[in-house]
Amino acid sequence: MGALLKISIRNIHRHSRRTLSSAVTIAAGLTMFIFMNSMYKGMDYAAIDNMINLTTSSVKIHTQSYIKEKKSLPLDYGIDTYDSLTAYLASNQKVKSFTRRTEFLGQLSNYTDALPVVGTVVDPSSDTTVFNLHKYLEGEFFPGKSEKEIIIGRSLARELNVSVGDFVTLQALTRYESHNADEFIITGLINSSDPNLNKNTLFITYQDANIFLDLDNLITEIDLQVFRNQNLNIMTQEMEQVGTSIENHFSNLKTATFKELGAAFFEMAKQKQSFGMIFMLLILLIASVGIFNTVLMSVYERIREIGILRSHGMRGFDVMIMFCTEGFITGLLGSTLGLIIGSVANSFLIYKGFPLEAFAGNVNTTGMPVWGTIYGEWNPDVMFFAFIFGVVTATLAGLIPAYKASKMNIIETLRFV
Amino acid sequence: MLVLENIKKAYRKGDQIFNALNGVTAEINKGEFMAIVGPSGSGKSTLLNILGCLDTPTEGNVLYDGAELGKMSENELSSYRKKHIAFIFQSYNLIPVLTVRENIELPLVIDKVRTKKEISQKVMLMIEAVGLSGLQDRFPRELSGGQEQRVAIARALVKDPLLVLADEPTANLDSVTAEEIISLMKGINKTMNTTFLFSTHDPLVQKYAQRIAVLKDGLICSDERK
Repeated sequence: MGALLKISIRNIHRHSRRTLSSAVTIAAGLTMFIFMNSMYKGMDYAAIDNMINLTTSSVKIHTQSYIKEKKSLPLDYGIDTYDSLTAYLASNQKVKSFTRRTEFLGQLSNYTDALPVVGTVVDPSSDTTVFNLHKYLEGEFFPGKSEKEIIIGRSLARELNVSVGDFVTLQALTRYESHNADEFIITGLINSSDPNLNKNTLFITYQDANIFLDLDNLITEIDLQVFRNQNLNIMTQEMEQVGTSIENHFSNLKTATFKELGAAFFEMAKQKQSFGMIFMLLILLIASVGIFNTVLMSVYERIREIGILRSHGMRGFDVMIMFCTEGFITGLLGSTLGLIIGSVANSFLIYKGFPLEAFAGNVNTTGMPVWGTIYGEWNPDVMFFAFIFGVVTATLAGLIPAYKASKMNIIETLRFV
Repeated sequence: MLVLENIKKAYRKGDQIFNALNGVTAEINKGEFMAIVGPSGSGKSTLLNILGCLDTPTEGNVLYDGAELGKMSENELSSYRKKHIAFIFQSYNLIPVLTVRENIELPLVIDKVRTKKEISQKVMLMIEAVGLSGLQDRFPRELSGGQEQRVAIARALVKDPLLVLADEPTANLDSVTAEEIISLMKGINKTMNTTFLFSTHDPLVQKYAQRIAVLKDGLICSDERK
């Protein structure tokens, strides 16, 4: 084996340019694989970020009774342990911020037409620490310049033909199920990546809702954010841990992480990743064709050498091992190079980000548009897979020509010029 | 020790069958320095290939110390070749990426029987025997033709083979170097009692050979000892 390895290494060294070009082919494939995978994950993460920051938050908390009636968005079954819950959340180190919300059903009218809407009562002082609606707003986020301020989706505003500064009438059932209607002034229009949010949602403050809905500070929902982790899986685990600990401490409460709330999104993302994986495997296969070609050339250049070795009694199997070793070493070189370059490129994507908007504008990834800067993610398992794939593919690519070499007629190989 | 019994070899070329050997019968004893001569196409190389276990006869038997080669499998033939047979080629056929020392030790490394120390000692002895002391770390490209053939001889002899088969070993050498090489092999033949079998056109080899067999149309038509 020592002699085989020596001959293989010397041959690789002797044909250093050819070896280098093959190694670079694999390295390029691996770099693309690692970078694209990170990019895909980054786009998913950006879409998830949008989902968390606009609608789902990291974890939503309701009472168990409320969950049963949630479809009708009742002004009932509030969280009566609000003070102790917030004290618990404030002391939890994994929780970055939290806010209260209460949802209700209503109708919004421009005095001519009325449209059904989902209303959300928010606490302006803490809502922006969990959600970032204010970043997708035309106008102001509850400036407090007047009473009865309202924020509505831009698509809804278009349908009602109203704009910032206009008055609209909101009708809804109060907590005690009596009809109420009042005029609100529009201070902001939401133009977010979530079409539902733009089309049939409005936001008012607890201060106004306490009067308009006889709310008496009824809180049906607590939304919280955990600290962002570069690794999505770790962040998801932390959310689940927070949710479980809340349920353990408050038996009447039920939590749901963004993963449960966005189950459909994750199903689509999974399918998309499978397609992405096929695409990236194709890149690696193309690289393996380069290796195949290199080993094949190496075999043809050294047919006579094969004859010499076999005339000395070397078995065909040993000849095959020798050429496979060359493929293996080339693969090892290329994969290591690819891992290094891929890691550097990935570092750039992780720490500097990729300004997607500058290149492609808004990108729709599985129903949740992404904009802004995409950040990558370290995926050690994917990098390990890519590395092993590069080495194994290169070794296997050498197998066919190596097998041919081992089966050649010795006399013919010795006569080969 | 080596017995050829009515060796026949036929090749198929397209629709035609070409008979390279038509029934060669001979005995080659240990320590002989024998040349097989004859015109091109007479079957010299075919005979050497069969004797070297690189090819098998269509008919007949080859017996090495009683072992019948025709009954051996591919792997057994490889193993037999590895232990007992060595080749010296017209174009030296050294491995270009290995040094002189590594080329010479190659058969022993492939054999995997001797220790590193034994291999090293044996190789240094052979380097000295063929007059290449001081050149052991050079690569084939750094040697002259004569030096390359000396390496090939050392490589052939390093495993103490029963039989050394030399196919036109002087064809690529000038007359002075050719004589040096033949003289070297003759010396080794005398001192080590190694059997040499040449396929050659070279009168110089014939001059040194103690036995000359003339092959014509696949048959030995003359076999004379000096």
